[in-house]
Order: sequence, then structure tokens, then C-alpha cells
Amino acid sequence: MNRFLIPGAMLVLALVYPLLVQSLPVYERLGALVLLGAIGASAWNIVGGYAGQVSVGHAVFFGFGAYSAVVVYTHLGWPPIAGAPIGMALSVLLAAAIGVPTLRLSGHYFSMATIAVGELVRVLSSTSEFLGGAQGLGGPAIPRTVFDLSFLSATPFYYIFLAVLVLLLWLTWAIERGRMGYYLRAIKDSERAARSLGVSAGKYKLYAYMLSGAFTSLAGSLYLCMFGFVDPESGFGILISVKMVVMAALGGAGQLFGPLVGALILVPLEELSNSLLGGKGAGLTFVVYGAIIVIIARFLPSGLLSLLGRRKVTRAD
Amino acid sequence: MVGAAALAAGLVRPALAQDGTVKIGVIYPLSGNSATAGNYSKMALEVGADVVNNGDAELAKLIPLAKGGGLPGLKNAKIQLIFADNQGTPAAGQNQALRLITEEKVAALIGAYQSGITLTASAIAERHGIPFVNGESVAANLTERGFKWFFRVTPVALDFARAYSEFLKAQKAAGHKTDNIALVHENTEYGNSVGSVIIDQFKKDGFTVGTKIAYSANSSDVQPQVLQLKEKNPDVLIFISYTSDAILYTKTMKELNWKPGIMIADNAGFNDPAFVKSLGSQVEGLINRSAFSAGKPGSVPDLFNKIYTKKTGGDELDDVSVRGLQAFMVLADALNRAGSTEPAKLQAALKATDLPAEQMVAGYDGVKFDDKGQNVKAASVVTQMRGGRYVTIAPKARATAEVILPYKGW
Amino acid sequence: MSLTLVQVIVSGLLLGAVYALFSSGLTLIWGMMNVVNFAHGDFVMLGMYSAVMVWTALGGGPFAAVPVAAMLIATLGIASYFLLVRHIMKGPMLAQILGTFGLALFLRYAAFWYFGANFKTLPDTLVGGSFVFMGLRFEGSRVLAGAMGLAITLLLHFILTRTAVGSRMLAVSEDATAAQLMGIRPQRMQALAWGMAGAATGIAGALIANFFYTSPTVGETLAILAFVTVSFGGFGSVLGALVAGLIIGVVESLSAYLVGPVYKDVIVYVLFVLVLWFRPQGLMGKA
Repeated sequence: MNRFLIPGAMLVLALVYPLLVQSLPVYERLGALVLLGAIGASAWNIVGGYAGQVSVGHAVFFGFGAYSAVVVYTHLGWPPIAGAPIGMALSVLLAAAIGVPTLRLSGHYFSMATIAVGELVRVLSSTSEFLGGAQGLGGPAIPRTVFDLSFLSATPFYYIFLAVLVLLLWLTWAIERGRMGYYLRAIKDSERAARSLGVSAGKYKLYAYMLSGAFTSLAGSLYLCMFGFVDPESGFGILISVKMVVMAALGGAGQLFGPLVGALILVPLEELSNSLLGGKGAGLTFVVYGAIIVIIARFLPSGLLSLLGRRKVTRAD
Repeated sequence: MVGAAALAAGLVRPALAQDGTVKIGVIYPLSGNSATAGNYSKMALEVGADVVNNGDAELAKLIPLAKGGGLPGLKNAKIQLIFADNQGTPAAGQNQALRLITEEKVAALIGAYQSGITLTASAIAERHGIPFVNGESVAANLTERGFKWFFRVTPVALDFARAYSEFLKAQKAAGHKTDNIALVHENTEYGNSVGSVIIDQFKKDGFTVGTKIAYSANSSDVQPQVLQLKEKNPDVLIFISYTSDAILYTKTMKELNWKPGIMIADNAGFNDPAFVKSLGSQVEGLINRSAFSAGKPGSVPDLFNKIYTKKTGGDELDDVSVRGLQAFMVLADALNRAGSTEPAKLQAALKATDLPAEQMVAGYDGVKFDDKGQNVKAASVVTQMRGGRYVTIAPKARATAEVILPYKGW
Repeated sequence: MSLTLVQVIVSGLLLGAVYALFSSGLTLIWGMMNVVNFAHGDFVMLGMYSAVMVWTALGGGPFAAVPVAAMLIATLGIASYFLLVRHIMKGPMLAQILGTFGLALFLRYAAFWYFGANFKTLPDTLVGGSFVFMGLRFEGSRVLAGAMGLAITLLLHFILTRTAVGSRMLAVSEDATAAQLMGIRPQRMQALAWGMAGAATGIAGALIANFFYTSPTVGETLAILAFVTVSFGGFGSVLGALVAGLIIGVVESLSAYLVGPVYKDVIVYVLFVLVLWFRPQGLMGKA
């Protein structure tokens, strides 16, 4: 039962967090931002961490989700959240279309191909009238019904994001323990060996990529509901892709809670350093942010969770 | 829902801080690709706050709030500016707006330069019922959202397009060729929106844009575009560009030795003080628009410009920084008349704003907001590059020089 | 063929040689160590600032700036290797992205803090302006950068394939443990690779600064181009990067001229993905 103790305690803490910061809107929002970051990074983790296919173009799915949400509002007048399932479905198809040609590539070539596809989609989106071109599209400025999800406080978003994250982590956990998780680990260790054992590597990589794309798209839709605006740069920009990778890698890629730990460190670091240093206008925010990432990478190249692993080993000694 | 929110926010808001200062939150791009603009605007606002708080003898003769000692209508409260960095992303802009409202308890917000970020940041202000004064975002939809707390001081793209059209009409009448017009614009929100408005307006006024070239602002090379222009050889060339691309086009046009008879640049990159300083001599005779016109010695813009130039160590006020400064002066005036930092009173004071042209630091005809929060007296002047400096050539009332054509370049 | 079209192609070739120039450092360490440096664009940026500093502080042109930038960025490369890269190589491949991305942000905003956000440009007279040759116009600074691009690429290729140091470096890249058994010190070779890559990148920056603008964020634009160039050509193949650079330069110029500048990136990326579809190891990479 020890296995469930820590996740259980984390969940309880997560559930009561908004109560602890009730009259501090910035911290309510910070909680929601951490969860949103964790959703994106955990979605990426399925293909990037478990299957070891380091996509640096996941912004394609994120942007797809964000645009799906805003497009159903702009063109159909629906509440943006109604676009989320559409975005997820389209992202699965898109993942297949991108995955079939690119997942054959090994290592860095796959990463570079995904960067190229991401940039390609970003440029194309900026020329599309339907997507609002370079100006981007805004969601409902003034909420019409409660389904427009426009709240004064971030707490409703917080619980929506928490529910999605729990679902995603549960799904990842189930995969990890199941046959697919076993195959993915085998592919990550050595694709050739996995193939020789009869694992159809291409198929499982593609499944992981599609699932990952669907949840990344959901993160994008949720982002849109919260912020109410997307343009090519904030939807498909390369920084979005890189941040997902960095968050997962910082916490520990290929581990269930790695991306969450990464988000718990990086998102508050980003927000607080901007709040404290950003107003000076000297770029110090990113000097500090970058330096901390460098230091973590230098001393814990396998991510923060490797600290726990190491302690376990010494205890066993 | 929104009304209740406003009420709730109003209840927790202190009328004035203990030490008799009133806080204004300012959101600008202080890092990222637009950081140059954000940092210049920041300095311009600091000049504005300094004039209100500590006074300036010369300006005091022209502007009531420049006597020093803070805002007389608000128990002589001094203004404290709290700056925040939007990092060039709509998310950071919104997060910082929330922090300024709820943590710093600012009386009002100013910002946020990029239209998309202004959109997300002002949405938070609207929900909390805090006035948001915008000085420089030109996207048309910002004032079409039915917001009650959003006030835009800047002219919009249509005003620019009209100014260019008027200018070209005058040149046509004077015998210059204007038949073949080429429009070259960068492909983000700014270039696209301004570009399409110009094309529409020109069509109405009987000018045809024969060549339209869109490019991405972070291009590594612009030679093919310049070669294309060289081949088509338009009479009039209009650029809508950021700084990086303005630099590349200027250099490449010289390299390939081509120039049109009339060259117009819509502000932005061609107005960046860094561009003007290093490449101003390469675009002699360039037509530009600006909200800044140094005007006659001793005028409001001239006096502000002197203080600002001292602060920056040589860079003069430009279109972007002056529009930010003007937005600040509008807000300071409203705070003074409201006599309170209570949001509803400040909102009412902003709605009642009626500033005359003589008090403008920007080249506007005054400030007066319509129901949507748009300043109906916003305007632009047309300028021309002369000897590394922009001089005002239109409208007549503000002009300090006559136009000289054709475009000379380098 | 019209003269303009010839000029477009020639401009594209020169541009391509420049791409090869600022990609050569990236391909060297990528091929040698299978490390992808996300801070590469920022190394170029610092090379550009070196040239700006040499000009503003000493009034020196490219001949003074090139050695200064080469030394500074080589030092930065070696320091990055010993302080960071050496350690992250022990972790998974992701640690490289994490560490070098952090380094990229750090360098970019350290430059922002030190030099300010303003764009800087060098006077175009430093390399003697432009000239006309066979009816085509050439810009001195671009020709110099293109020629240096060719020279550096060929020099690196020569070092790697024809010298003792080169074969030792290749031995380390093939199998570090085996190389160590043969008396080669892997870390020394890898540090050397970072130094050489840094020098090449610094030279690239110093030369590009003559016809480009310099700003703290300029590296972002250049980095993606360098990534595409290097993987297009095949990791570790210096000649591959040269060929890829030339192809990309010409394709970009032609498509910007014929189709429209907005679509030039789209065409290059599609071409890139197609090349990988048929040759998953890039044009000249090892399978």
C-alpha cells in the first residue's frame, strides 16, 4: 500500500490547495498554470519519455487544440470547450499523418523533423484566413453562459485541470503497467532488439504518438478557455514544444510523475522570477531561469526524480 | 457576473496607499523580440511620472499637472509606476495583469503594446473592473468587445491609411507619379492588419496597389524580394516592417542599388531609435508617420523630448514611446479629476476626458473617448527623414518643413 | 533565363554558403559526440556581438574581429564542455536538450542584460561595399562570408579526414571506451571538438554581423536554420552541411522570388521532410 501513499497524499494536497490560497488570486492561478503545464508535459511524456521518441514539435497538437476551441466559437458560436473533443479527434488523425513518415527516423533526426513540421504548421496557420491569420483569434470577450468558462477566479479551471491530469496520469499508469508499456520500454532501450522479439515497433510508437497528441491537444483547448486568445506564435511557437520537453526532462522523463515534478518547479520559477525581476526590463528573469535549468541539468541529468531513486539505492545498500 | 466582480474588486481596494501614493500598473514587452519598444516606453512613462511628481518649470506653463507635488485633486498623491514584463506572450501578459490588480492593488493598468497581449490582459482588467488604458495597440477588434473598462488613446490603422492616402493625393496633384504602388509587409498581426487596411483605403481613394509582398519578420535574407521590386519598379513603395527586417531591406536596397520615387514606411522598425541612429542616413527622404512631432521649441512635445533625451542619453521620443507617455498623461489627468482611486469614479473620469490639442505630447488633436473607449481625436502626422532625423511635413498646422521628393536614399 | 533570375540564384548560393558557415560548428559536435546544442544560435549571436564590440571599442573591421570572435567563442565552447556538456552526456539524450536550452536562455539574456535590447548594425563600408561582376551585383561582406564558409567547411573536412588529430577525434566519436584503451583521452578530444566548433561559430558570427543585424534574440532565427541545414546534410558530415546549405539557400531564394517570401520556409521544411523520408540519415550522413 506504500505505493499509493505518496500519490494519495499528493492528490489530497492538490484537492485542498485552492482552499489554502483562497484570497490570493495569483496563487490560485499559479496552481492552475502548474496543472496545465503538467498536462502538456505528461502528454508529451507518453511518446517522448516512455517510447523515447523525442518530439520537439508537440506545439502542433497544442495549437490544434487551442485553435479548435476558438474556431468553434468564432465560426459556429459554440462555447470554446466544445472544440476540445474535436481538436482531440483531429489531433489523432494529424498524429497519424505526421507520425507515419517521421517515426521511422531515429534519434535526433526525428526531433529535427518534428521541429520542421512544427514550424511548417506555424507558418501555414499565419496565412490562413479561417484561423484568423497572423492576428489570431479571441474567444468570447464577455461570457454568455457558464459554458464559456469565464471565471473571475482560476479555481474552477484548477479543478478542471486537476481532473484531466488525474485522468491522464491514471491512463499513463495503466499503459505503463500493461503490455503496451512493456513494448514501449523495449523500443526505447533498443528498437532493433524489440523488433527481433516480434514487437511491431512502428505500430506501438504510432499509438503512443497519437495518444500523446490527443492529450496535448486537450491541453491546448484548456489553455484557450483560460486565456481566451491564440495566435500562431502562442499556439504553434517552437517555445511551446521546447517547454514541454524541458518540463518533462527536468522532472524525469519516462516516469509517471516526472512531468508533474518538472511543472511544479518550472512554472512557479517562471512566474515568480518574472514577477520579481521582469519589471526591471533587463532580461534578468531569463538569466535566472536559464541558470537554474543549467544547474539542474548539470547535477541531475536524469531529472529531479533521480534524486529519489538514488536515495532508494543507498538505502538498499 | 461581471458587475458583481467589479463590486467585489472595488470593496477590497484601498482608496490610497498609506504613504499617499497611487499605483499604476504598466505591462510592456521588456524581454523578447519587442523589448526595444517596451524599454523605450518604460523610460517615457518614467519621465511622465517624474514630471507629475516632481514638476517641470517650463512644462507647468502648458500642462496643469506639471507643477509638481503629485495629483492635486487626489490629496497631492504621488504616482508610483509598477512595471511588469509581458515577455511577448499573451499568457504572461494576462498573468501579470492579474498580479498587478490583485497583489499590487494598482488603480489602473497601462499596456500592453502587442495587440494580442492587450486583448488578454485587458480581459482580466474587465473582469475585475479596473480601468485599462492602452496607448499603442492598433487592432480594430480591441474596442469592439463591448468592454466598459477599456480606453484606447492611440489612432488605429485606418487613421494611418488615411494619412498616407492624403499625402499621396497631394503628391499626385504636385505632379509626382503614383500609379504603381507596391506594399511590402511583415506577416504577423501588425503588418497584416495595417497592410489590409491601407489596401482598402487606397482602393476607395482611387489608388491601386499593384504589388503586395508578405514576408516573415525574422527572415534571414530579403534579396529575392528586393530583386522582385527592382523588376517591377513601382513608383511608390510602402513598408510595414519591424526593426530586424527594416535593417535588412535598407541594407539590401543599397546593395542592389534600387530605390523608388516615393518610399513610405509605416513607423515601427523604421522609427526604432536604433535604426534611425545607425541607418537613418541611408533612407534620406523616407516618408513616415508618427504620433511624435517635436514641434516648435517650447511646445509640450519639445519640452518632454528634452527631458526624455537627457534620460536616455541621446535617443529622442519616437512614435511608440510618445504614445505610451500620452496614455500615461491621460490616466494621470483622469485620476486627478476623479479625486479617488475607486474604480467606478476613475472610470467615470476617463469617460469624461476632454484634453485639448495644446496639452498633447503626442501629435493628436486631443483626447476624447467614444462609447467604445476609442479616442476620437487621435491622429498621426506625416514625417520625412532629413539628415538622420524625422521632421514633420503634414498636416500643415504641425509641419516644420516642406516635403522634398524624389526619395534620395543613401 | 533573365538576369534577375540568375542574380536570385547567385544570391541564394552565397546565402547557402553562409548557412554552411554558421552550421559547421553545430555539425562538428553533433557528429562527433551525438550532442545537439540548442544554444548554437546564441553562440553565433555572441560571435556577432564580438564583431560589434571590436568595431565600437577599437574601430576594427572583420580582420580584427574574426580572430577575436574565434578565440572568445572557442573559449566559451570549451568552458561549456567542461562545466556542463561533459556532465549531461552521462544522462539521457533529453538532458542535452534540457541543459543546452537552459544555456541558450542564459546566454541570450545575459547578452540582453549587458548589451541592451537595441539592434546594432555595422557600417557596410567595413568590407568595401558592393561591386558589379558580369552584370550581377555582389556585396563585399556577403562574398567574404560565403568564401569563408567554403574555406572553413573544407578545412574542417580536411582536419577530420586527413590529420592525426582528426582520426583520433573520429575514433572517440565511434567508440570512446575503445579509443581510451588505445591511449586517446576522450575528454581532451571532445573538448577540442567544442573548441574548434566554437572557433568556427565565432568566425561565422563575426562575418555575418557585417551584413545582418545584431540583437540578443537573433540566435533564435539562425538556430532553426542551422538545425535544418545540419540534419538535411546528415549529422557529422561537414560536406553534407555545405551541400545542404547551398541547396537550402537556392531553394529559399527561388521560392521567395517565384512563390512568395512567406512560403519559402514552408517549401524548405517540406523539402527537408521529404529528404528524410527517402534518406533517413540525411543527404550525406552515415546510415
